[in-house]
Amino acid sequence: MSAPLLHNYDLDEDCYRARLVAACSGVALDLRNVDMFPGAEHRSDAYLRLNPLGTLPILQDEMLVLTQPEAILRRIAALDPERRLMPEDSIIAARIDDWLAFWAQHLAPAKAAREIALMATPGDLAALSARTARMLRVMEDHMTHQTIRGLGFFAGPELTLADLALFPAFALSRDHGLDHDAFPALRLWARRVRLTPGFITMPGIPDYH
Amino acid sequence: MTGTQWVPLALARDITPGTSAGTVAEGAEIVVWRDTDGRAHVWEDRCPHRGMKMSFGFVRGDHIACLYHGWEFDEGGTCRKIPAHPELEVPGSICVARYGCTETGAMIWAALPLGAEAGELPALPDAVPVRSITIEAGLISVANMLLNEENAVIEGALATLDSAHGPLAIGVQPIRPGAVTLHIATRPGASTETLLAICDWAETLRRTAEKEIAA
Repeated sequence: MSAPLLHNYDLDEDCYRARLVAACSGVALDLRNVDMFPGAEHRSDAYLRLNPLGTLPILQDEMLVLTQPEAILRRIAALDPERRLMPEDSIIAARIDDWLAFWAQHLAPAKAAREIALMATPGDLAALSARTARMLRVMEDHMTHQTIRGLGFFAGPELTLADLALFPAFALSRDHGLDHDAFPALRLWARRVRLTPGFITMPGIPDYH
Repeated sequence: MTGTQWVPLALARDITPGTSAGTVAEGAEIVVWRDTDGRAHVWEDRCPHRGMKMSFGFVRGDHIACLYHGWEFDEGGTCRKIPAHPELEVPGSICVARYGCTETGAMIWAALPLGAEAGELPALPDAVPVRSITIEAGLISVANMLLNEENAVIEGALATLDSAHGPLAIGVQPIRPGAVTLHIATRPGASTETLLAICDWAETLRRTAEKEIAA
């Protein structure tokens, strides 16, 4: 069985999520780098045939062509026989589902703000960045409470898929001008995420050590 | 607030050894960092080389290094290493400006403004940290809300009061017009339930203060 193929662009945060989840769950991926910017290769005929939405990442695995970031992360994490990012416990699993939905729905402004700031796509940067700050505050309050309960991560005491899905929106927020000053609990959580075996960075997330 | 005074910048717990954090107090950009021996430092958040925020960089032992080009500064704020010129003996005149700082009452405090001689901050009673919370509202309206609480007193940048969940010591950090951070601590021995109840109290205060602004 060959490794799943990730159609990847290094500066795209969802592509980074897929690489990060694979790295932290010991799943090998084949990468095909796509010239997203400035070449717009993801909107070429060949790519629109594969994914009519014209987005990256795309994961091809056996019979599958997956185009939705959440489905891609879940598929990669499920390929880990140890299931280290998706524990069986049904309460933890429900919390992971909830935070993955939060990411998919409510952190979309973070991705849009960053693309406006870095790739000059059109949009209202100030409004999207302010919306992102509100969502990071929701995360900050949650991690403040988790820390008081003695739980170091979003869904419980251990790092899960939820943490890796949420991490880039926080770690990359300075790309669109949102500092970390108001989020001390998230700052400490991000340091814990960085200590995960296999953790990798991307441009915009400094490699400290 | 005018003149020289001690301002709380963080809960001491939240600046772990070997880490740094950026903050703003009365409009000034500041980096708070702790060396690996556990000592806290408060500096202007600006590398003298290219103006990059030092808080984006990283701590190495008792030095802090800039993320851009790795210029390393010792605990006195003096540049000791320029990686692009490893042979160079760095002139002692390249410095980051430092604030006077101290730790008491579970908080890290700095003497503002830059260069101020604030005298010694009297030691505060032992306390346990609860949380820091940033409120998008003016200093005066937040201070007035705190003063509505039981037995509330504000001295300098410290508010003390009796909440329904026990006594609180609250460091008040003015960020800029329209934003304040509260660093909240309580008495030692508070249970997990009590700490969570104090968080709820603080988040309710934030909601109320921001609603008044929106109204």
